[in-house]
Amino acid sequence: MSAATLAATRATPWLRQTVARSGFAVLLLIVLLTVNVWLYPGRFAPSGWGTVIGLAAPLIGAAFASTPALLGGRGGIDVSVGPAMGFVNAIIIKGLVMGLGLSSPWLIVPVALALGGMIGAFNGLLATVIRIQPIIATLGSYLILTGLTLTILPSPMGVAPAWLKALAGPWAILPVGLVFVTWLGLRRLPFYDCLMATGGDDRAAYTAGVPVTRVRFLSYLLTGFYAGAAGLMLTALIGSADPATGPSYTLIAISAVALGGVSFRGGRGGLINAGIGAIDIFLLQSVLTYLNVSSFVLQIGYGAILVLAVVLTALQERLLSRRSAHGA
Amino acid sequence: MAHRRSRRLDPGQVRILGAFAGAVLIHCVGILTIDGYGSTFALRSMLVLASLLAVASVGQTLVVIIGGIDLSIPFLIGVANVVAAQLHGDGVNFALVCAFVLVLCFLIGLANGALAQGLGIHPLIVTLGTGTIAEGAVLLWTHGAPSGSAPDAVANFVSIGGSVGPIPVPWLVPCFILLALLIVLTLARTPYGRRLYALGSNPTAAPLALIRPVFMWALTFGLSAVFAGVAGILLLGFTGSAYGDVGQPYLFQTIAAVVVGGTALVGGRGSYLGTIAGALVLTELNTLLIGLGLQAAAVQTALGIVIVALVSVYGREPHVRTTI
Repeated sequence: MSAATLAATRATPWLRQTVARSGFAVLLLIVLLTVNVWLYPGRFAPSGWGTVIGLAAPLIGAAFASTPALLGGRGGIDVSVGPAMGFVNAIIIKGLVMGLGLSSPWLIVPVALALGGMIGAFNGLLATVIRIQPIIATLGSYLILTGLTLTILPSPMGVAPAWLKALAGPWAILPVGLVFVTWLGLRRLPFYDCLMATGGDDRAAYTAGVPVTRVRFLSYLLTGFYAGAAGLMLTALIGSADPATGPSYTLIAISAVALGGVSFRGGRGGLINAGIGAIDIFLLQSVLTYLNVSSFVLQIGYGAILVLAVVLTALQERLLSRRSAHGA
Repeated sequence: MAHRRSRRLDPGQVRILGAFAGAVLIHCVGILTIDGYGSTFALRSMLVLASLLAVASVGQTLVVIIGGIDLSIPFLIGVANVVAAQLHGDGVNFALVCAFVLVLCFLIGLANGALAQGLGIHPLIVTLGTGTIAEGAVLLWTHGAPSGSAPDAVANFVSIGGSVGPIPVPWLVPCFILLALLIVLTLARTPYGRRLYALGSNPTAAPLALIRPVFMWALTFGLSAVFAGVAGILLLGFTGSAYGDVGQPYLFQTIAAVVVGGTALVGGRGSYLGTIAGALVLTELNTLLIGLGLQAAAVQTALGIVIVALVSVYGREPHVRTTI
């Protein structure tokens, strides 16, 4: 890469980089948002934004949570995000609210984050220190967490405190926004550069002195914290404890992240890509629900969009690289 | 003496032997702790269940060796299961039904492999997408309430109570052993097998040796889908009626069987023998835990712990510093 192109890459604003990486997903977002506003003028009016964001929040949170582990590369992935959300949901409602009668946000929020962090640390330990292949390590956590959740909470029960429910209503932007702000902060730390370097080429990063194992461990820890936050968003939305909802978020979050343009080979993408992908899927669900189609059509539509999006993004990338090759 | 022996076995063989030893160990624990665990009936049902899992895992093994992963297997199992039952219920000849279902699966698999390799998309995403579409389409076609059943021939073929002459196992088990032999031979002795390992271990060098990556990926994912289809039809015989989500437990079980069997998810390494050992371990474990009186939820937790523990004993990956 010549000095001129390097300077040009540096000068590219991050927004443009994101658009280039997400490609199709951004276009889809605009189209779907327009269609949704047209279909539901009331729901998408400013007064309804809180509720809409609250509805989308668990999926966005799950997609956020899936991202850091993927960025670390070499097969890094966390399939236990969904069950972790369900576990946090169960512990908060069944353990804290119903069991101990505690409902203060100053207690519930730290507990949720700490639980997520513990799960993340466990996954990180397995995937980076013990070095089990990440998909198997987190699959183990998936099974353990799903089983524990069902043991603690055999059936749906309980009621969430009012302040938590408000986080899926008027204050819905707060949890999603806070998670995103922490990411923006992290982007300014050396950790972020080390993570992207590790994900891009771990051998080169290791030779350059990046503590690859520690960086990857931290990426799982971060995924865990975000999963804890997503568990709070899920609890806020359903307003009770439900053992069945959590695990279903894993695959849909992976789809959202892929749709948004986070590379599964590591080192490329970020939370904004994950967010765009998640909002795409949410808006698509919303449109198809309006059309009152069966859940099977919803399933087909969502699979088709996923395949179409990644195919179009790949074609676009190919076209761009060919053009730049000609330019040079 | 032991030292010399360990030198002769490569790590892959040690892992396979370890997995088989693990299965035997779990079986011994079962005999000691649970009445009737060693009975012929228990043994027969475990053999049948392990064979079904091993058939479903053939494709995952091939795909992992080439350096990919296939998440469409559970969906295609469901698709094959429902389509076969529905068409059979409509009075179509069952041989034709099977041919149609397997060709359908093969085409979906071809698309998976061609898209993933041709466009450089991660196979995890492509297969998740196509699997979702295929299952959605079939559920839409049957309005979510599939009907029909398996012909008696298939039901007898996989029935736990079936027997082959004097041997008290259904035809599934000997046929599976034959299939396993064929697959092991194909991997070790045919150009296809050599190319599979070559492409998996070095995707850059293999095309220089005139191995066509897109062709190999399409073919391998196609084969994976066909074996998922076979598993779906066999499961139709096993459960008796069609059920769209019949394949869902196989999503992670096929991956777990492959990895417990010592195949790394990095491509170029692995063997079908290992996967068979992995399928045996998983089936033994599941049976043991249920036999110990654990609830379904607790079985899941224990299975998770055991998979992690097993893999951390013999499935560890090298540190980055050793790969430079």
